[in-house]
Amino acid sequence: MQKNVNLGSLITGEKAKISQLDTESLPAKFYELGFVPGALVEVKHKAPFHGPICINIIANNTLIALRKSEALRITAERI
Amino acid sequence: MKKKVIALLGNPNVGKTSLFNRLTKLNQKVGNYPGVTVEKREGTLVHQNTKYHIIDLPGTYTLYPNSLDEEVVYDTLSDTKGSYHPDLVVVVAEPATLKRAIVLYQQVREMGLPAIFVLNMVDEMTEKGISIDFDALRRLLRTEIYQTNARTGKGIEELIAGLDNDPSLYISTFQVPAKYAAALVDAKRLFPLAKEYSTWLNLAQENSKVLTADQRAGIVQIRQQYGITPQQLQRDESLVRHEELDRALEQIVIRGENKALTTTAKIDRFLMHPLIGYAIFLGVLLLIFQAIFAWSAPLMDWIDNSFSDLAAYLSAQLPEGPLSSLFTEGIVTGIGGIVIFLPQIVILFIFISFMEETGYMSRVVFLMDRWLRPFGLNGKSVIPLMSGAACAIPAVMSARNIENPKERLLTMLVTPFMTCSARLPIYIVIIGLVIPEGTFLGFNIQGLVLFGLYILGVVSALASAWVLNIFIKSVHKSYLVFEIPTYKMPDWKNVATNVWEKSSGFLIGAGKIILAISIILWVLGNFGPNDRFYDAESYVATEQPSLEGDELETAVASYQLEHSFLGYIGMGIEPIVRPLGYDWKMGIGLISSFAAREVFVGTMAVVYSLGDDVDIEDDGERTTLFERMKNETNRNTGRPAYNFASGISLLLFYAFAMQCMATIAVVKKETGSWKWTLIQLGFMTGIAYLAALVAYQLLK
Repeated sequence: MQKNVNLGSLITGEKAKISQLDTESLPAKFYELGFVPGALVEVKHKAPFHGPICINIIANNTLIALRKSEALRITAERI
Repeated sequence: MKKKVIALLGNPNVGKTSLFNRLTKLNQKVGNYPGVTVEKREGTLVHQNTKYHIIDLPGTYTLYPNSLDEEVVYDTLSDTKGSYHPDLVVVVAEPATLKRAIVLYQQVREMGLPAIFVLNMVDEMTEKGISIDFDALRRLLRTEIYQTNARTGKGIEELIAGLDNDPSLYISTFQVPAKYAAALVDAKRLFPLAKEYSTWLNLAQENSKVLTADQRAGIVQIRQQYGITPQQLQRDESLVRHEELDRALEQIVIRGENKALTTTAKIDRFLMHPLIGYAIFLGVLLLIFQAIFAWSAPLMDWIDNSFSDLAAYLSAQLPEGPLSSLFTEGIVTGIGGIVIFLPQIVILFIFISFMEETGYMSRVVFLMDRWLRPFGLNGKSVIPLMSGAACAIPAVMSARNIENPKERLLTMLVTPFMTCSARLPIYIVIIGLVIPEGTFLGFNIQGLVLFGLYILGVVSALASAWVLNIFIKSVHKSYLVFEIPTYKMPDWKNVATNVWEKSSGFLIGAGKIILAISIILWVLGNFGPNDRFYDAESYVATEQPSLEGDELETAVASYQLEHSFLGYIGMGIEPIVRPLGYDWKMGIGLISSFAAREVFVGTMAVVYSLGDDVDIEDDGERTTLFERMKNETNRNTGRPAYNFASGISLLLFYAFAMQCMATIAVVKKETGSWKWTLIQLGFMTGIAYLAALVAYQLLK
């Protein structure tokens, strides 16, 4: 299985370690909410038909929802 | 007495508002920040000879704004000359997201502002499996740390006592990344007196209002010279701070199992389920509709009756004459027409603030974003659109928390298409007149038509969003990222305050306009340009000498109306409304209901000489109004004024037209632009006219 993927392609229940964010298109708010390189995340819910994705930032123990279009710009390593 | 300005600053969902309510009790008011339409909540607190002026800043994650709300935070903190510039910042945190709050705290301190740190919701620490070494945290933050639980009031006294203390000296810990050092040195020349971090903030802000035009140009030049963007700076600052804090907090915060998250996960298995989640949301929507329509009915009847009683009482007490009729028919009826919507607005806002307080609203945004995005809207547009089913005024206001300016604008522009409660009286009367009773597939036909009109509202809102989306250019890229809080029991105090603020805001804001229009209408209807109005009796007597008693009175009243200013206006616009199937009397209804849709029924009652206080809930009177309207003939066509074609045409007109002064006023206030307000007015009226025209011409 491919290890380096974007956050949008993970399925519910999968965990991953964030490796990089496409910084040109994502505002600093993503960092403030915990999407930083090295952060461990788990996909909790996915809204149907490519809707938003709900992610647990494990270190902060918070749930963050983001659109799939932005999740595609975050690369992560499956664990 | 000493005076001190205190600003409450913190992330969303940390209980900041509860804390604000605790500190200020009921000494608070809601206004706007100068020049912008962001809600400003401020209050006062007097303690030991000091008067504290407390400002509840909008919730934010960072000092780099992404929305109008967040812009206000930075402007307030950075504008040292502003009247709201705080003497002390109270940074509010909650245990689970401590690190994020510390980032804000550090930024504020490094700007040179004194700050204290409040850890709210301390009671949740055990449940969330968090333990904190407070002594070590105090050393790290170099300030007093107050532990509170704003819901129970625990720790509030200590916090109040601490508002007077001056925090110890703070030394900046933020190391500007080496690659920006040269740019920062250049920027410092622009701000010789500023702290290093303030200079950095100026360099990293996309758009800072406190800078002069020269300074702004200087900043832009430096950024170009070094090839740096504000986004890079913001991102790198964030990374540096988070890394540093991760190290610093390792020994201070110990995390165990978060039980709150476990419970939340269990509930979310249903509420965020791709199928069940939608079913539940649909159920919640149905419940809200049921509540707005069914539960509010007895209250609305009661208000209606009380106002007619009051009007009757006043007309008995006051000496007869124009003044008495201004009071009873103009002012009391006008105010009654506003107050009657209060139950629906209160019920709607109880539901909305309940959903916000418990955390369910974020789930709704999550579920709905996918379905609203194709129309250029955002998951957060659900709240305004839903609220629009009660009243567009609070609904338009609730669009404030949409970050993207384009999506916010679109939401505000299309929300008035939703079927608000003011359309209901018109729908009921017209449907009763032109739609036959009976059943279709077991459903009541009249009910089906009413339901269809609601669907039409939703469809036209989405369709016009889709069209406008093509024409409006976006300044910012659309994105959506938000925190989904753990479920909590609502803080009922917050629910009550919120409902009170929203409904009194409606009452006063919309009330002023409706009251003014009622008076204008009354004047136009009670005065005429010539003696045909003032001497109506003799004119009627010559034209129809056989009339006497009640019949004579009715004829005189309707003759007077025809020759009042209102009557002449109605006849003046008749050529415009004739293709829609209306006569001049309906034209008057259309004009007067421009103030507010619900005025239509009352105006038609006056026009058909019934007296102003028709109660459509009251069967007896309704029959009379119905009978009158049914028997009314359109003198242009010789057919009944309310036939199937003109009825459908009227229904469509009211479904689309922006017949509400109060909404126009709110949209102007919220968009801050006459251009968009007029465009909205234009396209809504245009669609209404066209739809009514096509319907009438096809059906007649």
